[in-house]
Amino acid sequence: MAIRTDSDDAELLAAVADKDRDALRLLYDRHAPWLVLRLARRCADPGIVEEVVQDTFVAVWKGARRFRGEGDVAAWIWGIGIRRLIDRLRRHPAPIPSTVGRNAVVVSAEEEVLLGVEHGDLGAALNRLSPELRAVVQATVLDGLTTREASRLLGIPQGTVKTRMMRAKRELREALA
Amino acid sequence: MSWHADAQTLERYATNTLDDVHAYSLEAHLLTCERCRMGVGNAVDRAGLDELWDAIAAVVDAPAPGPVERGLLALGIRQHIARLLAATPSLRISWLGAQAFLLGLTAFSVSVSDGTPRESTALVAFLTVAALLPVAGVAIAYGPGVDPTYEVGLASPMRSFRLLLIRAVAVLGTSIALATVAATAIPGLPWVSAAWLLPSLGLTLATLVASTYVRPVMAAAVVSGTWALVVTSAAYRVHDGLAAFRGQGQVWFVFIIALSVVLLAARRSAFEQGAGT
Repeated sequence: MAIRTDSDDAELLAAVADKDRDALRLLYDRHAPWLVLRLARRCADPGIVEEVVQDTFVAVWKGARRFRGEGDVAAWIWGIGIRRLIDRLRRHPAPIPSTVGRNAVVVSAEEEVLLGVEHGDLGAALNRLSPELRAVVQATVLDGLTTREASRLLGIPQGTVKTRMMRAKRELREALA
Repeated sequence: MSWHADAQTLERYATNTLDDVHAYSLEAHLLTCERCRMGVGNAVDRAGLDELWDAIAAVVDAPAPGPVERGLLALGIRQHIARLLAATPSLRISWLGAQAFLLGLTAFSVSVSDGTPRESTALVAFLTVAALLPVAGVAIAYGPGVDPTYEVGLASPMRSFRLLLIRAVAVLGTSIALATVAATAIPGLPWVSAAWLLPSLGLTLATLVASTYVRPVMAAAVVSGTWALVVTSAAYRVHDGLAAFRGQGQVWFVFIIALSVVLLAARRSAFEQGAGT
């Protein structure tokens, strides 16, 4: 199948499965930038982030056939990327980015409306969680990781992930009640 | 898509100053929105991304490992050793196939030959071939002219001697395995069907020693010629085709093996200058 610069991601991935190097380059141009940013929010070492992005696209090259066409290609790539990061951190633990300072950002009312989720009580409730609890919510809910994966990503024992998740749920439930 | 993130939000996300809760909803949104993905991506350093792509391209463009290398990797052999072994001419599938064919043919002729297998010419042929195959394998495993990686090997940080030993062990291993399989095809399994083992070790080691003086191919030719001469002359002298493989011959090979090991250790420096060139 001939690929063009306006081919959609699934078409590109099908071409990558047939070892089309240009298709991989296009996918890389579309997805590497946000992947770098999203990984950088979970790992403070830029060298590791680069390695993980490299591993991820090599894995996409080798495993493009395993994409079953369900869901977004971006989500599939993220699933590979976050697991590569976890693998990498298991071998060489790296600092987790500090969240200090992020919470101080003043959010305009307009933005509140645009972004939807935090417009409601949930956003306020999430904001009131301590950074440790929020990190666990992020790993297990947003990133869709298992308890074991989250414990590796955050560098804390699995038991701690579970107790923090329980505390976070309780606090959210109370805040939304 | 019902909404898109505004430029300020995208910029804050890219500079890692967006608060967690906004970042969560943006990240969830990014997975399904190409426009916003492009929006945050614009903030990422292009030169760094291009450099990273070069690293990916290097992996992607690397030649895929062949069947031998994949098999070695599956056995848990380290990647650089596997590549070295896979580049060995005498470990190619074609060479292994030729060996298997020759051994199979001679073993087959033993099993169908008239009279007792013990005395037959076919058995002598099988033993001689089984003993010489690793010699030929080692001869074309290393050296100028036959090894496609010879020049690379000279320039590599790994010692030529170590490379030669690694390949010789691999060649010996595969030859012995093939000959053992072929020997089981000989009915009755008399002791003689294992009598090639010590000769093959001794001849291979003698070839390695000789390759410190002359090219490996020449060394193998001299050793094989001598061996063929010894087998025939012993056979005629005592009217026993298997004379060279019996007790006394085996004792000789134990002696040759020991001597070759000592000589090889003493001559190892000859390899570092490029054997026989």
